[in-house]
Amino acid sequence: MQRRALRLAFLLAIAIIGLPALAQQGHPLTGTWSGDWGPAAAQRTTVTFVMNWDGKNVTGLINPGPDSIPLTGIFLDVTTWTVRFEADTKDASGKMVHISAEGKLEDIGSYHRTIKGSWQQGTVKGDFKLTRD
Amino acid sequence: MKKIIAVAAALLLLPAARAHHSFSATYDSERQLRLKGTVTRIDWVNPHAYLFVNVTDPNGTMTNWAVEFGNPLELERDGWKRTSLRIGDVVAVEGVPARGDRKEAFAKSVVLDRTGQKLFVASAKPRAAAARQPAPRWPDGQIRLGPPPGKKGYWGAASASALVENAGSPIAMDRDGLLKNLADAARVAPFLPWARALYEYRQRTLLKDDPFARCLPPGGPRQFQTANGFQFIEQRELGRILVLLGGGDRNWRAIYTDGRSQGQADEVVRTYYGNSVGHWEKDTLVVDSIGFNERFWMSNGGLPHTEALHLVERFSRPDFNTLKYEVTVDDPRTYTRPWMGGWTIQWVPDEEIQEYFCEENAETTFVR
Repeated sequence: MQRRALRLAFLLAIAIIGLPALAQQGHPLTGTWSGDWGPAAAQRTTVTFVMNWDGKNVTGLINPGPDSIPLTGIFLDVTTWTVRFEADTKDASGKMVHISAEGKLEDIGSYHRTIKGSWQQGTVKGDFKLTRD
Repeated sequence: MKKIIAVAAALLLLPAARAHHSFSATYDSERQLRLKGTVTRIDWVNPHAYLFVNVTDPNGTMTNWAVEFGNPLELERDGWKRTSLRIGDVVAVEGVPARGDRKEAFAKSVVLDRTGQKLFVASAKPRAAAARQPAPRWPDGQIRLGPPPGKKGYWGAASASALVENAGSPIAMDRDGLLKNLADAARVAPFLPWARALYEYRQRTLLKDDPFARCLPPGGPRQFQTANGFQFIEQRELGRILVLLGGGDRNWRAIYTDGRSQGQADEVVRTYYGNSVGHWEKDTLVVDSIGFNERFWMSNGGLPHTEALHLVERFSRPDFNTLKYEVTVDDPRTYTRPWMGGWTIQWVPDEEIQEYFCEENAETTFVR
């Protein structure tokens, strides 16, 4: 048990120590971001963003896979490092719902940079936080 | 289990160690510091040597200070040894304190109390320069980038501390590429707005996030600006030239000169040094590189790039002692247009590149 725990701790440490080696130093939004949004601390929905800078625009989607949601707009204001996302999805009844989120990019030089801000999905308002993987 | 978690947590702190740090990010040059105390430990390791000193304040409280005092390779070239100072010696240190409240300093002078001798002073004797002579050549007349047969030597200091566009008047900056005036950022390179904002952020934060400071490889032009130089190993029979780096984490890069074509950018494995193919145009080696990852800063000072980076480097040796390096940077996702920069590098005659492992300090010095 002790040996197993030690091995687990070692692997955990190595995995996290390795993170700086994976730090992406190019466009601050490029990459995969994980986090959640919700109207309250107890009501959270996990989200994954994948974004890419092509030299003219940042494109991307939410939750890659069969139910992915294309981001219709990603707007970065580099004077304040604020970013706004626009997307459209369907609710449980199949009705179109607009997503609008705006947040601030923080600790942009770090591999664990974050985007934190407000999120509105249809009539539901909440907050979100994304951390770059 | 708690102990195990504590060990893991301690390990997590290691990446924060400034193995090869930006001076400005680490030390506050605006302040001065004087310390007098007893040496408790000497870390004669690359890239920075440290001594640790117990200093007692007027209230009788003892504090252990870490004092950086130079690069061991340079100190040894100047005749100093690890044994120039011993544990238990009392020293007086004048220097620059670290930023924040860390008990660390950079020594401008270290004086041995019992003799009054000033230790670790750079030699006044200039390093011998190679006599003026033409660049060495292979039997077929092609320029040699390394030493001639039977001789030693390597390429040392660059004439510029950071890559900037070849245009207009010089831009004032320190040895880490930190601009004296941030308003000069627009003159450094033709940045896209996001890239300029990121470059300025890195400058404003004193280069604190520099991957090279965490011992990651100095890809791109930066490999020719790091401390402790580099060497070309021309393996003509294998159709390649190896660039051995004396600084950083002491890695190497291959430039293929066997006539192969450049790979497709989307297919190459992205690396710190990219995929390089070279050919000779008269006396100039022209190297085309793509396939860079985005995990490094391509120059001191924090120039950004993306995976679209394409470099064309031109190496020439106008005389024995001088290497001329010119690079064209083409990254349409980062810069508004291709641009050029470069510098010269001086030959260090009759010496070998010495051991210089960036990892050393990360593992030893700051685990206190």
